[in-house]
Amino acid sequence: MNDLVLMGLEGAVLVTGLAVLLLDLWITPDQRRLLGFGAIATLGVIFCASFAYLPDGTQYAFGGMYALDEFALYFKRFFLIAGMFVLLLSVGTSHAEEGGQGEYLSLSLFALAGMMFCASAANLALLFVSLELVTVTFYVLVGFQRRRLASLEAAIKYLIIGALSSAFLVYGIALIYGATGTLDFRQLASLPAAVMESRILWLGALFLFVGLGFKMAAVPFQIWAPDVYQGAPPSTTAFLAVGSKAAGFVLLLRVLHQTLPVLETRWLHLLMGVAGLSIAYGVLCAIPQRSLKRLLGYSSIANAGYLLIGVATLSAAGATAALYYLAGYLYTVLAAFIVIAVVLQHTGRDDFDSLAGLHQRSPLLAAGLTFAMVSLAGIPPLAGFFGKFLVLKAALAAGAEHPGFYWLLGIAVVGVVISLYYYFGVVRAVYWGTPGEQPAGPIRVEWPLQVALYLAMVAILWLGVMPNQITNLAELAVKSLGLR
Amino acid sequence: MTEQTQSYLFLAVLLGVAVAFPLVMLGLARLWATVYSPAKPGPAKAAPYECGLESTGDAWVQLRSGYYLYAIVFLIFDVEALFLLPFAVAFTSLPVGAFVAILVFLLLLVEGLVWAWQKGVLEWN
Amino acid sequence: MTPGLEHYLVVSLLLFALGLLGVIIRRNLLVIYMSLEMMLNAANLALVAFSRFNNNLNGQVMVFFIITVAAAEVAVGLALIVALYRQRQSAHVEDLATMKL
Repeated sequence: MNDLVLMGLEGAVLVTGLAVLLLDLWITPDQRRLLGFGAIATLGVIFCASFAYLPDGTQYAFGGMYALDEFALYFKRFFLIAGMFVLLLSVGTSHAEEGGQGEYLSLSLFALAGMMFCASAANLALLFVSLELVTVTFYVLVGFQRRRLASLEAAIKYLIIGALSSAFLVYGIALIYGATGTLDFRQLASLPAAVMESRILWLGALFLFVGLGFKMAAVPFQIWAPDVYQGAPPSTTAFLAVGSKAAGFVLLLRVLHQTLPVLETRWLHLLMGVAGLSIAYGVLCAIPQRSLKRLLGYSSIANAGYLLIGVATLSAAGATAALYYLAGYLYTVLAAFIVIAVVLQHTGRDDFDSLAGLHQRSPLLAAGLTFAMVSLAGIPPLAGFFGKFLVLKAALAAGAEHPGFYWLLGIAVVGVVISLYYYFGVVRAVYWGTPGEQPAGPIRVEWPLQVALYLAMVAILWLGVMPNQITNLAELAVKSLGLR
Repeated sequence: MTEQTQSYLFLAVLLGVAVAFPLVMLGLARLWATVYSPAKPGPAKAAPYECGLESTGDAWVQLRSGYYLYAIVFLIFDVEALFLLPFAVAFTSLPVGAFVAILVFLLLLVEGLVWAWQKGVLEWN
Repeated sequence: MTPGLEHYLVVSLLLFALGLLGVIIRRNLLVIYMSLEMMLNAANLALVAFSRFNNNLNGQVMVFFIITVAAAEVAVGLALIVALYRQRQSAHVEDLATMKL
């Protein structure tokens, strides 16, 4: 029974998803909106309930399969917030999407439950199953507008690359199991040093990294990102950009610091290299983009790089910075995608030309997009700035021990400068773009989306001005991971 | 020569015979065919055999998309039954919790079935 | 002579490599998908062999999960490929090119 209580948050999300799936069968289309709001309210309740958990150290359930600590809770709250925004976004734009709104909601809830399980995975079997729960539901969510060719194509690309990465993940798990004889994280952590030298274990861990790298969209596992971001429905893209990426990071951090701490020194150069390449690739490829969603796809690759710098420092400060960065990135990306969803609905396009004159058609949307872009570019006082600042500070501190970090720091700073160019290209298109022949009537934003956009903007500002509350939470989370 | 290599020698001889025997037979049959029944292809001979009836239409028929839905639904339910097998084997020695867990699992499958039914996936028309 | 762990591992690695090769060089989505399944089954073989030689059952339990997850993946994947086929009358990777820079 105690096990079920520990797993209560995921259980509640799963039950909500199942209930939505069943209820949707027997309700009228008018009630469908209410169903969405009901699901969002339930998530809100679950979010509040998460503060009732006060884990003393790490608590295990189901024979050590499942771990609950501050670190897991931090990410669970993160995923729940992301889930609420995504549901709000999907309810707000529902009439534009064809049928199956109930299925969209319940699939999003299942993906959310999968992400929350990722945060608590303490066994390679649960790691695999929860990661696949996220990936397989996302195959459907990406291809949800199945009569739109771009959506379908994106889904197929995601499917092939995703299945390839999970094949690597599974083989990695098989090799790790072969070298150590266990799938349990605690047993893996307490293995004698002689076992840790096994080549098979290293290869297995490397394959595991391929699987996680796919989720994080880090170079060289990033090929899917731009196409999938562009083709998927905007609410899916938003969820993919925050939720799926964070799921990769939560697992990476846990495996790196808690399960196989020997990897810390072995993977140092790997992590640094991947971080530097991700930033360089994301930033350089984003320059010529004209589609906003595709631009954010490349930006997501670059952001994975910044997050990986934080992880690569292997210090508590770096991990805290990465956790804070993710929180800021969450609201920033959500704000951007709310605007993109509305613009897509009204113009059917998401390129820069369709943004022209947006500040006249809807000042709120223009402000929201500007907030998001300024935050992404890393301008004070918004959340994006402080996230980058913390990451770079941690890298500077790590540089004393390992000079390679100074190079990484250089790449990161150059990346920020280059990214100013294209982020401000978007802002320029919004305020100074020349509208073409398209009708320039005002855009009416539905109230759920207005609420979501206001909340996201306030959160971006609040995180940037008063970062202490989140960094304290992040520090607590990192401490429970055993990092000093 | 040790006993083990002798047994391998035996295997090698067996393999040689196993290859040679069908080759000889096939060769003889081929010889027989060239002497007594030279090939005379014709449209009637090339037609697919359908129990003696005149063949109609093409073998490459397009299947209805409903067929795929059926197949996919079948695939899921078929494979998920995999979990029931070890449960059934160890049933007598399991605690009540395991029974409840498998019941929940079955209920999930039932929900899937209800959903598919209500969506009309199971109607064949 | 009984086959040892390394024999199973060599076969499993061969299967994995063949699957990867198939994914890289084949052009038909269905064949690519079959190759991907082969890679998963390579991992299954390795897990079962390791399970036998590690003398515990964890690996075999893992195989159960992999098989079921793979079935779910195939169901979703086939549905998507069929949907694409209906739209384009083709299941070739070259036709997945509406989105470019």
